Parts: sequence; C-alpha cells; structure tokens
Amino acid sequence: MNFNLDLATHPGRVFALAALLPLLPVVVLAITRVMRLRWGRLPGYLAIAAMLGAMACSLWGSWQYFHEVPNDSRWAESTDWIRIGSAKPDTPAAALEIGYRIDALTALLFSMVTVVGTLIFVYAMGYLSEPEASATGQLHTVADTSGSEKYSRFYLYLSLFAASMLNLLIADNLFQVFACWELVGVCSYFLIGFHTERPAAGTAANKAFIMNRIGDAGLLIAMCIAFTQFGSFNIQDLIAAFSGGLPAGMSQEMWILMGLGLFLGCAGKSAQIPLQTWLPDAMEGPTPVSALIHAATMVAAGVYLVGRCYPLFAPEVLLVIAYTGMLTAFVSATIALVQTDIKRVLAYSTCSQLGFMMVALGVGGWVAGLLHLLTHAFFKALLFLCAGSVIHGCHHEQDLRKMGGLRKAMPITAFTMLIGVLAISGTPLFSGWYSKDRILSAALGYGLANPMHMLLFLGPLVVAGMTAFYMLRLWFLAFSGTPRDPHLHPHESPMVMTIPLIILAIFSICVAWGWPLWNAEASKLGHLLELAQPPLNSPKELRERLLAEEYHLMAGGLALAAAVIGALVAWSKYGRRAPSSKQLAEPKGVFAEKWYFDRLYDATFRRGTVKAAYAAANLDKSETRRSLDGSLNGLATGSAWIGSRLRLLQTGNVRQYVLALALTVLGLLGMLTWLTR
Amino acid sequence: MNDPGLTGYLILAAFLFACGILCLATKSNAIGLLMGVELILNAANLNLVAAARYVPALKLDGQMFALMVIVLAAAEAAVALAIFLNFYNNRGTVDVDDAKDLKG
Repeated sequence: MNFNLDLATHPGRVFALAALLPLLPVVVLAITRVMRLRWGRLPGYLAIAAMLGAMACSLWGSWQYFHEVPNDSRWAESTDWIRIGSAKPDTPAAALEIGYRIDALTALLFSMVTVVGTLIFVYAMGYLSEPEASATGQLHTVADTSGSEKYSRFYLYLSLFAASMLNLLIADNLFQVFACWELVGVCSYFLIGFHTERPAAGTAANKAFIMNRIGDAGLLIAMCIAFTQFGSFNIQDLIAAFSGGLPAGMSQEMWILMGLGLFLGCAGKSAQIPLQTWLPDAMEGPTPVSALIHAATMVAAGVYLVGRCYPLFAPEVLLVIAYTGMLTAFVSATIALVQTDIKRVLAYSTCSQLGFMMVALGVGGWVAGLLHLLTHAFFKALLFLCAGSVIHGCHHEQDLRKMGGLRKAMPITAFTMLIGVLAISGTPLFSGWYSKDRILSAALGYGLANPMHMLLFLGPLVVAGMTAFYMLRLWFLAFSGTPRDPHLHPHESPMVMTIPLIILAIFSICVAWGWPLWNAEASKLGHLLELAQPPLNSPKELRERLLAEEYHLMAGGLALAAAVIGALVAWSKYGRRAPSSKQLAEPKGVFAEKWYFDRLYDATFRRGTVKAAYAAANLDKSETRRSLDGSLNGLATGSAWIGSRLRLLQTGNVRQYVLALALTVLGLLGMLTWLTR
Repeated sequence: MNDPGLTGYLILAAFLFACGILCLATKSNAIGLLMGVELILNAANLNLVAAARYVPALKLDGQMFALMVIVLAAAEAAVALAIFLNFYNNRGTVDVDDAKDLKG
C-alpha cells in the first residue's frame, strides 16, 4: 500500500485526512481509558490539537478547491469495500464502496464543522473545569482527579462525534453516509446521557436514540429501493439516473416511497415533525454538547442529506418536505414563545430554524436552505455557548425568571449573545439576514407560481416575527433590567470561554457578507454554494426562481417588517420595564404543553406498548392453560403416554423376539413374492 | 433308485427350517435354542447343496457356500456357548426366560 498522499494530483485527499484526524484522540483516549491512566486536562488538549489540524486541512483544501475548476478526477476517489457476487445473471456484481467526493457544499460544510467544532472544543475546556453540582448535591470539579475519568470520556465522545460528522460530509455513497449517520446517532446518545448520575439524562438519551431509529428505518428503506433499482449506493450515480426525471423501469410510487424514506431519515436527524420531540430533551447534555448537536453536527446532517440527494426527490416529496418544515417551524416557534429555561428556548428555536431550511429546500431554494444551514451553525453555536456561559456564571441556574440584569456582571457574554440574537432574528447585514431573506423570497416565488401553496410563504413569515420576539425576550429576561434573584452571584466566564464567543460573534456577523453588502443575493457564501447547486429540472422551477428574484425586495421587506414587529413587542413587554410577576408565572396552555406531542406519544406508543406487554403476560398466565401453554404441554404429555405404551413391546422374552423375527421375515418374503408376481 | 427331484429336497429343507423356528420359539432351554439354530442353518445347507446339484450353471457354488455356513455355524456355536456359560455363572440356570433384564 502506498502511503504517499500525493496531494498534487489528488488534493481531495486532504479532506479525507482531516476527516480521519479526530479519530486519533479517539483511539488514544480509548487506550488510556482501558489502561486507567489519569491525564487530567491532557485529553482536552489532544482533542483540540486534532480538531485544529482538521480545521487547517479543511481550510487549505477549500482554498484549493475554490481556486480551480471543479473536477471529479481530482476531488473524488472511491474503492471497493465489499464485493457482492451477481445474484442474477443479468445484473453485474455489485459492490459496497468507500470513498469521498468533494464539491462546494462539502467543502463549505466541512470547514464550518471544523471551525465551529474547534471553538466548541476549546470552550468546553473552560466549561468542564467548573465545579458542578451532581445529583447528590456534592460539588466536584470535572477536571480534578475524581472527574478526570469524565473529562477523558467527554473528549473521547466529542472527537468521535466530530469524526463521524466529517466522514458523513465527504462520503460519496449512501451506505457510507448511513454508517456515519448511525455513528453520529450513537455519539449523541452517549453525550446527551453524559451525566450518568441524572436519570433525566438517561431518559433523554434514550428518547433521542429511539426517535432517530424511527427515522433511520426510513433511510434504510430508501437505500434498499435505490440499491434494488440501480444496483449502486453512489450518490452521483443515482443523481445521474434521475437527471431526466423518473428513470425507465421505476414506478412513480417507488420514486415517492424512496423520497419519503430518505426524508423520514432526515426528519429524524433534523428534528422535524413528527420526530421533533427528542431535540428539546437533548438539553440534558452538557451545554457544549448542545451547541455541537444543534449547530454543527447532528441536526445539520439531516438538512445536508436532503440537500445532497436533492435531485432524487419527486416533486410530491418536495412538497411534503416544505409543508413539514413549515409546520415544524411554526409549532416550535410557538412553543419557544413561552419557555422559561434558557436552553429550551434555544432548542425550540433550532427546531424552528431547521423547519425554515426544510421549507427552503422544499420550495426549490436549494442555496437558500443550505446557506441558512451554514449561517445558522455559527449563530446557533454562539447562542448556545453564550447560554452555557450564563449557566456557568450563574452556578447552574437555567431559569430565565431568576436571571435579569446579567449584562453588568457578564458584559462580553451579554454583548456576544445580543449579536447572536440579532443574527437569528434576521437583522440586516447580520449573517442570518442573508439566508432568511433568500428563504422567504424563494418561498414567495413558489407561492406566486402556485397560489394554493402561498401558506408556505406566510407561515415562515409569521415565524420570522415570532423568532425575533422570543429571542429578544430571552435576551431581555436574562440581561436587561435589574437582578431578580439576590442569591444569584453571577460572574463573567474565563477567557477560554469568552474568546470562542467573540470569534463566533464575528463569524455570525460577517460569514455571509458579499459585495454590495446590502444585497442579500450578493452573499459570497451563497455564490460559492451555487457552484454545487443541482441543475434546474423543469421550466416550472425556473419560473419559480425568476419570480423569487423579481419579488425579492418585497419578501425581504415583509420579513424585516415581521421581525421588527416581533422585536418591538418583545421590547414593550420585557425590555421597556421590568416584567411583571404575571409574566413570570409558570406558563400554561397548549404552547407550554408543547402542543401535547409528548403526551400524545406517551399515551399512544409508550402506554400502548406497556399495555400490550401486560396483556401478553396475562394471556400467558391465565388463558393459555388451554391455548398456547396447553397445546405445548399436551404435546409433551402425549409423547410420554405413547412412549409408556410402546415400551411394553420390549418384553425381554427371547422367544418372542425370535418369533417376531421369523414372522417379519415371512412377511417380507410374502411381500417380495407378491410384488414380483 | 428313483430321483426325488429338487422339490423333494426343498420340501425337506422347509420342514427342517420350520422345526428349527418352532424349536427357537418354544424351547426355554438355551442349549435347545442352539439346536434350533443348527436345524435352521442345516435347512439352508440342504437347500444350497440341492440347488447346486440340480442347477448346472451353479457348478460348485452351492457346496462352497454350504462349507462356509458350516464354518460360521461352528464359530456361532462357540460364541453362543461362551455366552451361555457366563449366563449360567451369573444366574445358576440356562433358562432364557430368566434373561429379562431388557424388559421395557
């Protein structure tokens, strides 16, 4: 085997190298854990070094990529992993491949994940070293000798998480995507349930894992269909097969089923209705994990796969995606309006923003959706890390109602969080504005071309207003006014936490900038994404896109108006004067109850399963004396009875045996003569 | 001297065979059983020799087989007598109705 990287002819290999780099700390930490070595903070440094290396590789690779003409012979490679002999004579032998393929989408997302990932890794060093209250009420420091085990475990999972996500991004076939998909899922399980001493963490981890399994079943079905129809998992091959619409030999229903299966998988990962309930519960994990899940890795995977497999979706499926996204965005935003836990507001806002991305992809705004994925990653990571800084500074207080006036105690956190809030609300010239503007104009274009789907524009428009409201509400409640709880002694977080905040704040402002600044269509990041955009399939889509460009200003204006209204309402209710005790009461109603989704699932699936189990147990205990158990017992006693009769044949009397022998021979002879008559 | 023909020999052999089987089925003395076995074997021998005599194509095959059977009968008698001797040592009798240890 040739270990020469040969970057001159295959510069794409630098991405593969970067994707494998975080596996190095995984291996090292796994070995040290087995050997029970205590390293204190070293695991953190090791993981950060690996991530820094991955970041350097990916930035260099992206720089190379965007400075040359895209060319698959230089940026894609694959090799057989498992070869399968041909089952039927008319089909060629199939192979499971392992490979990478770099295009603009991969390069940009890869860079985003490594940059955000590195910052979160650094931040976690500070976050974890704080004494934290365990379930027993004792204080211990995670990084001291007693917590050293936790520290290395944390960075082990975090590195594995990053490695799986990076491999998912460079994968060139669905099988590899699926393998990484599962790895991401299991890492999220480990990390959400990281505080093993808390029962709630275990429950949340299980919930996330099981919800994702449901989605994965859909993905598996889609993969089976693709493989039986085309004999390949390679995404480019599949896209080529679908380049002229429905390929010959495949039924329309099959196509739709495949698309729905793929989307179910993505809905599970990206927390779309009806599989959205795991994401808010995932807040049980440590805050850096929340940031990683919500910004860079887990939820991004679903949107990424929809974007990557975009040409494989039938128009009907795209419509389903758009409406699912719209519904998720709306429902989550309404829930976020009344949440009082700082992390839960952010969690529901993530659901809502992911809904935005799905709407964009569904209505044909490919660039808009993925641009929002990129910008969202930066400001959502920023918001989560700020929330972590607040929680850290307030000694693990997460209730917004007990905060207030924190900006004096933690000015850097307050200021950077304000930037994040403005970015997610869609304030002009902040990164969120560029992507949200594009999403809404794509939705408007689609709505104008198909007036009966105008809801796909109006829904997100309302949600944009609500987003501004609940994000500003969060900021006002936490940072403005006067402290509401005198026992809270907030302090600013250490440098190791605030510096990542500042860097992320800078990214949140200007990551989508282009020239001219005030034109959302001129975003440089958007132009780079357009390089990977799948070609338009029909004149209908072209018309939608033209309409979107024509009414772009109108969509932008409406979005801005909605955001301003939301912001003003938030200011008048929470910012202008201190919120009244009525506003701080425990929230009630359908929003606070999360639209009864959890209760519905609890009543149907959980209770249903338990009831079915009890019913089966009861059946086994009582009724089946006659049915199942009875028949089996009957079989046993019947055999025993027949045996007890048969054994009487063995008399032990030699003369009887001889007689039986003679008679048998006689009988046989008679039979022989009768047969050969 | 008139020739009784093959049928006569076969009838005699069948009679001997029936006697042997009857002996086996009715006697309870082990030695008696051994005698019954001898009768059966010799019925077979008679058949073999008679067949060789009346079927020219068989040449000496019948006689050869008869010799073979006699040798086997001797060996069988030796083994059987050894078994009976042991049986007698254990039970003090040669009554096979006593040998019912394998009764189911």
